[in-house]
Amino acid sequence: MTKIQEALAELHRLQGVKGAALVTHDGLIAAQSLDARFSTDVVAGLTSYLMMTTNRCLEEGRQPKAAQIVVHASNGKAILTNLDDTCLIVLFDQFADPATARRDVQEAAQMIRRASRIS
Amino acid sequence: MHLIQRMKIWKELRDLETRAREEPSPSTFVDLGQVYINLEMHDKAQRVAEDGLALFPKSTELRQLVDCAHRGAGRQRIAELRAKLTRSPSPKTFRELAQLLVDLGDSAGLQSICQEWSVRFPGDAGAWLVIGQMRLVNFYRDLAAREGAEAVRCLEQAVRMDANDAKARKLLGEVLYRIGAVRKSQEHLTTLQEFDPNDAEVAALLQHVSGLADSGGDVAALLADVESQGCLLHPPLAAALPRGPQEDSIALVREGLAQVATIPGVRKATFIQGSRALVKGAIRDGRDPFLRVVRVVAKAAHRFTRRLDIGSANKTVLEGDFGRICICVYGEALAGAQCDANADLDRVLAELQEIVAGALHLVGGNEA
Repeated sequence: MTKIQEALAELHRLQGVKGAALVTHDGLIAAQSLDARFSTDVVAGLTSYLMMTTNRCLEEGRQPKAAQIVVHASNGKAILTNLDDTCLIVLFDQFADPATARRDVQEAAQMIRRASRIS
Repeated sequence: MHLIQRMKIWKELRDLETRAREEPSPSTFVDLGQVYINLEMHDKAQRVAEDGLALFPKSTELRQLVDCAHRGAGRQRIAELRAKLTRSPSPKTFRELAQLLVDLGDSAGLQSICQEWSVRFPGDAGAWLVIGQMRLVNFYRDLAAREGAEAVRCLEQAVRMDANDAKARKLLGEVLYRIGAVRKSQEHLTTLQEFDPNDAEVAALLQHVSGLADSGGDVAALLADVESQGCLLHPPLAAALPRGPQEDSIALVREGLAQVATIPGVRKATFIQGSRALVKGAIRDGRDPFLRVVRVVAKAAHRFTRRLDIGSANKTVLEGDFGRICICVYGEALAGAQCDANADLDRVLAELQEIVAGALHLVGGNEA
């Protein structure tokens, strides 16, 4: 198992986390550890869509890119972290508090960054 | 239509029906509805569009499909009614046809059908009322004296032919006081009250009118004044009533935005509904990029969560070198704030949530 895959599996084991994936900006899955109910292609496409749409809109307004997007929905939550060439998405159930999982997500993001540079 | 063509279309319809059931999306419903429209089955197209709207209430394409199907069904019904009028004309059929033409905004068709109606049934006041209503709509929109004079003439004719026609009398009473012919208006409204002394709406209207200054009975001169000044002399009853829940909601939204702006670290805040926005803080104008970011990200987050099957996005937070942009959504109402990274995020989100929840009356109503 690669270090990136390990980091995603580690995140997936946290309470309330339904899965984590590393997605390229053009919507391809680089690595994933998701619950069976999520289709990897759908997660990849939607992650790329939200991150790209947000950043394009910010750029048009001459603002820097978003480093992180946190989305709260009625039946779940998501944290999207921008990692230069890729995006880390972590999906939660509706009861999870993304604020408490934030440090774990940041650590995983750093580990993935390091692993990407080495590889 | 060729039998094989027909079979192909039915097969396509079956496939689309299955897709709409198994993988519902606005485009699937639109495709299916379009096939029904092409087959001139407008009632089925309407049903499909309504089913789709129940699942995707914000879809513009589905709203257009409903409108298209509605118009198609209306045109079909108009053709049926025209055929019926040729066979056995009756005031009831004329009335139904005129109403359909009003709904579809076909002024030329309405004019011609009302002329035919009044020729065939000269004793029926209905045609005059319908034409009067159409002219009145044009007058209130353009404030053109000619349209106003025609509206008054047609409504007076309707009242002369049927003195008990409450609708014509009310419309006439309203337009007369709005242009300044208060005494003339009072005559009609008093008669109207005699029809039903318990009608609270008429009583309120009469009370409102009795407090207005009369400018005389020369309707043509009063209409000319309205046209030259570009406004009606007296306000409608609704404008004179105490503040309704909608105005209260706007006041609450303003107060809420002011509250958000007082939180340390908050730079700008907005409330958006439809194409309009209320703003507070360092926002230059309606083209401020912050407003666009709030709109675009709210929409993208909504699509993201719906397609990911995790419900509706109600809170979204963007973080970056710009600080934080927080967005709260409730139905069609959005509230957003841009703040520094050290601002109290929970408090900002709670205040924004209060704003969108308090704007409940505005959602589905007029724009803020």
